[in-house]
Amino acid sequence: MTVELASALAAVVGADHVRTIYGQPALAVTPGSPTELADVVRITADAGAAVVPVGAGFRAARVRGLGDRRRVHLSSERLDQVVQLDETSMLCHAQAGLTGAALEKILAPRGLSLGDYPPGILSSSIGGLIGVRTPGKSSARHGFFEEAVAGVSAVLADGRTIHTRVAPRRSTGPDLARALCGSEGTIGYITAAVLRLHRRPEARLLAAYRLPSVDAAIAAAFLALREECAPAGLRIVDASEARLHFPEAGLADGQALLVACTAGPTDLAACDRDLIASAVAAEGGAAADLGLAERWWRRRLGTEPTPEPAPSFQASAGPGQLVAAYHAIRRALPAARLHVSRFDLDGAVVFATLVDEHGDALEGDALTATVARAEAAATAAGAWLLGARPTALDPYLKALRAQLDPRGVMNPGALTES
Amino acid sequence: MVADADRVRRELEGIVGPRRVSVRPGDLDTYARDMWPRLLLARRAGATPTMLPTAVVWPESVREVAAIVRLARNLGVPIIPYGGGSGVCGGVVPRFGGITIDTKRMAALRGIRASDQVVDVEAGLSGERFERELTRRGYTFGNFPSSIYCSTVGGWLATRAAGQLSTKYGKVEDRVAGLTLVTGTGEVVDTDGPRRAIGGPDWTQLVLGSEGTLGIITSARLRLSPAPQLKVFRGFEVDNVAAGVEALRRVLQRGLKPAVVRLYDELDTFVNSFGHHHHDEAAAEFRHTHAPVPLPGEGALPPLPPPPRATDDDGPLERLLGMVRKARHGLRGDAFTAVLDRPRLINRVVGTVAEKIARKGCKLIIGLEGARLRTEVEAALTFAELERAGARDQGEEPGRAWLARRYAVSYKMSPVFRDGAFVDTMEVATSWATLLDLYHSVRTALGKHAVVMAHFSHAYPEGCSIYFTFAAHAPDRGASERLYDQIWKDGLEAATRVGATISHHHGVGMLRAPYMAGEHREAMAILTALKHSFDPDDIMNPGKLGLAARRWEAR
Repeated sequence: MTVELASALAAVVGADHVRTIYGQPALAVTPGSPTELADVVRITADAGAAVVPVGAGFRAARVRGLGDRRRVHLSSERLDQVVQLDETSMLCHAQAGLTGAALEKILAPRGLSLGDYPPGILSSSIGGLIGVRTPGKSSARHGFFEEAVAGVSAVLADGRTIHTRVAPRRSTGPDLARALCGSEGTIGYITAAVLRLHRRPEARLLAAYRLPSVDAAIAAAFLALREECAPAGLRIVDASEARLHFPEAGLADGQALLVACTAGPTDLAACDRDLIASAVAAEGGAAADLGLAERWWRRRLGTEPTPEPAPSFQASAGPGQLVAAYHAIRRALPAARLHVSRFDLDGAVVFATLVDEHGDALEGDALTATVARAEAAATAAGAWLLGARPTALDPYLKALRAQLDPRGVMNPGALTES
Repeated sequence: MVADADRVRRELEGIVGPRRVSVRPGDLDTYARDMWPRLLLARRAGATPTMLPTAVVWPESVREVAAIVRLARNLGVPIIPYGGGSGVCGGVVPRFGGITIDTKRMAALRGIRASDQVVDVEAGLSGERFERELTRRGYTFGNFPSSIYCSTVGGWLATRAAGQLSTKYGKVEDRVAGLTLVTGTGEVVDTDGPRRAIGGPDWTQLVLGSEGTLGIITSARLRLSPAPQLKVFRGFEVDNVAAGVEALRRVLQRGLKPAVVRLYDELDTFVNSFGHHHHDEAAAEFRHTHAPVPLPGEGALPPLPPPPRATDDDGPLERLLGMVRKARHGLRGDAFTAVLDRPRLINRVVGTVAEKIARKGCKLIIGLEGARLRTEVEAALTFAELERAGARDQGEEPGRAWLARRYAVSYKMSPVFRDGAFVDTMEVATSWATLLDLYHSVRTALGKHAVVMAHFSHAYPEGCSIYFTFAAHAPDRGASERLYDQIWKDGLEAATRVGATISHHHGVGMLRAPYMAGEHREAMAILTALKHSFDPDDIMNPGKLGLAARRWEAR
């Protein structure tokens, strides 16, 4: 019964912070401190129930396969404090329930920032940002979000709290924090992290270019990146998407729009902008109206609405597979609107907005069938789907979990299917 | 079941044939150690190693490695991976005997995927050959440890190594797209995949630095950079260590990425400034013999420095001791060992002498390289930032001198090991906020026993590493080993006390194993669980990384 568990947990966190989830054998619990959270995990484990982590709540809890096992949806919502801000070392020790956006508000007046990450991802809690790996959490200028993690604190299945130690780099065994990053709460419940910060850029320069093809635009992007250009953002919009998002660009079928933002010390931002301009010229492109890039950036920041609907499919590919992946997805989804973004030297992500002939978002069976078609095409072209992982290491993950969590308490529904 | 040596040999021969297995005493002796100075102490005293491998084997394929690991599992004997043997922490010492796998016959550079700028390379390839081959094809991996002439790619990956240009290119763990390893179960697995698209933990990062305790790395996909189009090197002077640290911090936190940053403390500056004109000569000689391309000292990798000649200027340590002798005329007998007996005195004397002579402050070497346009812009911004921070530009010469001599020092260490004297290095790292605290704490801790100098290198936006060099002396081997252990204990505990890491890039081995619990504390639970997951029978390099080895210790 959840009743005894509920009262045991209420004794730790207070009755106001334990709620029964209607129609499910589940409790929603919001501890107010890491020690309370550790107690909740211990009590839940001893009761034979499961812990399902909840961050800012944008992602559905993974409860597949749990059947009628009792579970505690454990939220980090009240763990929303900055523990320490070390401006000398540009490190921030923040609790996991703080959202990226809330932390940015604290950092901004100090001239600091988490970095040039897509503002969309920063609505997630820090625990969610770190705990779940998706290709969107990257920036050409600052790398994959995980690389910002200098240390984490987490509660293990037996209620023990661990803190991985902070150092710029170390040679004392594997990077133990990485066992928790991306583990979706299966190795431990992340309660806090020490994050590397960046200075807010002295300058931001925008530019837009028209290119004869998406292939040329992709080639230009990697040409610039290999000359060490590190843009704050770079997006290639194909003609189908440009017709709705940037109608005045007047792209013909097959053509592409490339918008870019470079940032940093003014001279470097200008250097990076020039590197992109040269690469575009080398691929047969030409400058387009700056207003297009400004509009893209405003939409990215959310100060201007982006045309609906939002992308519903994404696949990432390395630089060698990206062109093929784009064309495969293009062929499989003739009606879709496509753009390619999140560029870095490891590749980029193709985003598809799946719409019907009226421009309305696909739903239901039509969506399922179209996504399946897109997935098959993308995979065949060497791209990776969201959430994919190499299954060869699954037995090791299983063994690692069995070691740390023999009772299968920590998010048992996650990272299981092969 | 304890397998006898003869059976191990026969079974190994069944896998790789008779010519690539050895149980000859000479081979076992060679493979019993690496460049850990504590082992050198015993060697100098004429002692033979007490921990020997049962057999040494040279596999040529990952399939053979897997078969050997499965054999070891069946026979119940340990596996010890061995690369170049250049480690300085005793990581390859076979504490409980077993099969030492030398990876050097797996040395193919299999290919470069130009579109992805990724190279597929086998673990046993020597660093020098790796980098030369990449240079020939227009790339660089960017890892230039001073051991590059005698270390392997696999060794770098197993220890999370760093090179002289790490501030730009990163440590090796920042440059890995995927690993192939044979785990302790004898299974071959790849950790590849786009690092950002993959669900679950990043296995590459969980294997890097495992020093053979989880498995044996047999090949890797590594990220490359285009060979640099431009190199800019410059020397600066700063008033003192604190001013230099502040200048470096400002550069790194502005988002600039010089390839080389080296800030020498007063004593290191003084010792290194001796024979300054020799640097000119060295550089000129280099120019003469290797001109016109690549530019003097600018090639990715100079030829291995020749053995020291009588006319060569001494290494920094000999210079350090020579200076001390001059400062204290009263010393008689073997001045070398005599001065090392009085480290506190020497640190004080040297301190004052160094301060007097090197009143101009500390030397700072800055080097940038990479794509032409961006490097030009970054260099201008970097130098301007340093000057704003109070650093005084000394022109290109100090930078070129460092470039020409940068590999010479490391190969001169062992001659110092005589009459119970020894020298070693300790590289620790921490955030900028605690960096000076770390410097003073460790310097004080080491200074009780040894003559100490230090430089700051491998800088990051959030912090920096400090590289201490220390020399000391004791009357006999037993006393030397006790002193050696005491120095490391005091130094590493001082680092842990201020919240620093006990190793930036040399690794753990046997040297730091006793301090791993202090380094990671309760987070060791994760490492222990990883160990059980990858190596359930504890056959992979047992007794290293601070992991328990109960199965073997009971014997």
